[in-house]
Amino acid sequence: MSSEPHPTATDPRQEARAARTSRLEAARGELAEASGRGEGGRHAMRQYSHRMDALIQQLYADAGSLTQSVAVFALGGYGRRELCLHSDVDLLVLFAGVIGPDDERFLHAFLNPLWDLGLTIGHHVREVQEGAGLEGDNSEFLLALTDARPVVGDATLLDQFLAASDVARTNTRTLEALKALIAERHARFNDTFYQLEPDVKEAPGGLRDLFGAQTVAKLSDPALLTNGGAGTRALEDAEEFLLRVRSVLHLEAGRHHNVLSHEVQERVADRLGYAGSTPSQRVERFMGDYFRHARAIDRSLRFALKAAPAPIGKNLVKGADGVRFIDTRVAAERPETWLALFQAAIDEACPVADDALACVGQNAGRFAPEAFFPTKAHREALLHFLKPRPGLYARLSEMHDCELLGQMLPEFKAINCRVVRDFYHKYTVDEHTLLTIRNLERLANRPSRERERFGRLLNELQAPELLVLSLLYHDVGKWTDDDHTLESAKMARQMFDRLDLDAEQRAEVDFLVREHIKMSLVAFRRDTEDPEIVRQFAQFVGVEERLKMLCLMTLADVEAVSRETLTPWKEELLWRLYVDTYNHLTLTYGDEVIGSEQLLHSALVDQPPADLSAGEVASFLEGLPRRYVQLFSREAIYKHVQVSRDLAPDSVNAWLTRVDSGWELTVLTHDRPFLFSNIAGVLSSYGMDILRGFAFTKPTGLIVDMFHFTDDERFLELNDEGEAELLKTLRDVVLGRMNIAARLRGREQGAFRRRLPGFAPVVHCDNESSRRYTILEIVAEDALGLLYRVSRAMSESGCDVDLVLIGTEGRRAIDVFHLTREGVKLTPDQQLEITGNLQRVLEGRS
Amino acid sequence: MKLIKAIVRPNKVDEVKAALEKLQISGMTVTEVRGHGKQKGHTAIYRGQEYNVSLLPKMEIEVVVPDSMADDAIKAIIASARTGEIGDGRVFVIPVLESYKIRTGERES
Repeated sequence: MSSEPHPTATDPRQEARAARTSRLEAARGELAEASGRGEGGRHAMRQYSHRMDALIQQLYADAGSLTQSVAVFALGGYGRRELCLHSDVDLLVLFAGVIGPDDERFLHAFLNPLWDLGLTIGHHVREVQEGAGLEGDNSEFLLALTDARPVVGDATLLDQFLAASDVARTNTRTLEALKALIAERHARFNDTFYQLEPDVKEAPGGLRDLFGAQTVAKLSDPALLTNGGAGTRALEDAEEFLLRVRSVLHLEAGRHHNVLSHEVQERVADRLGYAGSTPSQRVERFMGDYFRHARAIDRSLRFALKAAPAPIGKNLVKGADGVRFIDTRVAAERPETWLALFQAAIDEACPVADDALACVGQNAGRFAPEAFFPTKAHREALLHFLKPRPGLYARLSEMHDCELLGQMLPEFKAINCRVVRDFYHKYTVDEHTLLTIRNLERLANRPSRERERFGRLLNELQAPELLVLSLLYHDVGKWTDDDHTLESAKMARQMFDRLDLDAEQRAEVDFLVREHIKMSLVAFRRDTEDPEIVRQFAQFVGVEERLKMLCLMTLADVEAVSRETLTPWKEELLWRLYVDTYNHLTLTYGDEVIGSEQLLHSALVDQPPADLSAGEVASFLEGLPRRYVQLFSREAIYKHVQVSRDLAPDSVNAWLTRVDSGWELTVLTHDRPFLFSNIAGVLSSYGMDILRGFAFTKPTGLIVDMFHFTDDERFLELNDEGEAELLKTLRDVVLGRMNIAARLRGREQGAFRRRLPGFAPVVHCDNESSRRYTILEIVAEDALGLLYRVSRAMSESGCDVDLVLIGTEGRRAIDVFHLTREGVKLTPDQQLEITGNLQRVLEGRS
Repeated sequence: MKLIKAIVRPNKVDEVKAALEKLQISGMTVTEVRGHGKQKGHTAIYRGQEYNVSLLPKMEIEVVVPDSMADDAIKAIIASARTGEIGDGRVFVIPVLESYKIRTGERES
């Protein structure tokens, strides 16, 4: 007798497979039974989803060892724990790092058994870093992600994935995609939910519409569906009803089938227990309920689409009443995110919603000032926020009213509702302070014709946010009856460390706060027609940037005293002092050189670094315009001394420095023909936009040039060797080994073609302001290579370009050249010749 | 009575005021004004462009004094407002026929 051989050993893989099949069948059986009783609603589906979770967790554990953090998330209906009998199982497998061969093996080991079980798996595999491009991902995935739920693995990976994304753009795109999908789907059903044979999932008023309404609320305002539409209770009932119907449909069809056809309606009505003496009666009652629920869903969806605020940032939306947090509970614990609320309101030109202000107001007192600026990015965000533009005053007022401003900048609390009784001020000190910022903001936004000149100054400022910061602090010292300017400056210094301002920023704010009444004293109380008064004031402010800041601060401050204080008369006095001082600073500084007497008690000379002697420093500084020491930091000056020490006659020492708003090129070399135009030409040949700069020439012929420029084409950023290449080109051009004209020609032609209609250039020759130099002021439309062309024209006319100030204001280039020819000022004929040449160059005629 | 109208440099107001107070003249009206004298202003240059500054900011001080004090007041104004440069201003003297206190209706001679 023969018998079949018994397996001598059990195959563990087969055993595991059998166990999994058995578990899945048990779970399905459970849901099928409930569905058969008409109870396949939320509870039964939750139970089934729970069983599926356990199965996936087991597969994850069995898939082998991991080389990095991985997590599996349930998406879509499964993510909502509403997995139906024959629904797809949508999964996201998220890897912490780059997916390698070992990870792919893990993936196969994890996913294959799911397919073997006969499940329809919709799987997405991503690396955390791919979150950075999430807003560009496919719209179905973005929608499914809104219901993501961790099943197994490191659940924080999803937070990291989302944190890498641009949340506002992703949410906006998700909403747009959702709206488009809804419209497209509704069109397939002729835009009506009154379908006699409806698809309970896809048709208008079906489950997809319900989830659509919930998703809109989730992305914009969780309370949205409680505030309008059919109400949450009606939606819950509709959901339960439709889920039960769908479960029966899956059970009856034995597959993924959601159409409630005439044939199946009777069986569904029976399973759901509808009463009636005939099948028709039972179906009519059942379908009547169906349409009532579909109508509730339709109503809520329409309301959600109409009323949903737009996502505009992480946890931020814009509604009819302004910008608000999506989740106030989350926001309440994250004070570092609050500034973004006010920034978004400025960006969106709307207020902050009352509930968001209430949330901030209720919680502001819980946090120390440091909690609002935990990182450099947060501190920089504050400075960015303070840039004057429409809405800043209103947002700062909101921050003050809800006590956030005083919590962030505690020194401001000292003047909260502070009253100082005098004949002039009409407002409390805190409101006066905020009004100064409103005055500045108005200058930034289409000022009146009379104020345009001040508005232009504001546009020219390199760091207008420092002016606003200074205004915020200028009167905080008024809490005491002592000299408030000194007290304000002292209090402002407490803020410097907290905001981690750099040395230049500190010096600027300290000066402005301490000296904020100086310009009004000089303008309104001194004889500003006296050149000596102007000279002293110019010496006091030092450089044009500071002059502009102080001028604007004075204007804003005086105007905020009362409506009547800043008269046109005072404005004119202020402007005239500004112009006279500006002219003094830009036109006469060449005559004010550093002499040996100034160096006697100079800290720069007396305390040099270890590798420099006082003599070396003094020798370097002597003969340079005094302005030089006001423009460069102490460290920069010592570096110049060091570099100049060993500078051979035919060498060019140049270096690039990355700065906040672009790049700086510093060049130390000995004077030679066409030097300045060659340097400017090299920068232009790389497409660099020169914004500011200075050129100094010592009597010994040593040149110190500094150019501040932006690299709009990102040449330096994108090329590892970019800096070295630019500096090499510079040396080659300056030393005559390369001709810059040919290199620049192609770029200039392109730039000319792109030029917008501009304004007539101005060339003004001044032989009076300086004892030593002829001064050429040029105001022209900024263009690539402009500086190169005009300075080249000067050199071609035989002029030496000794000192240069380069500035830009929007599209206008404002350049001041101090020239000599053979060591002396230009004759009237030479002036005529050079101005004629320059006019031709600027008008493109040569 | 005389009405003395003095057009002075803005920075000279405090000095003129102090000089008049020394003469026991304390009531005065000070107004911000703009105008020009014979020179009709001047041209200024800002960023290479000339612009005409035809109306210069000045202060107008008005005082009404008894005839007997007019000369002293005029002298005091001129002495305190003078710099010797073009643009020091002008003093105008106008007879005042009658003067009334609004509160009481009282006539002053």
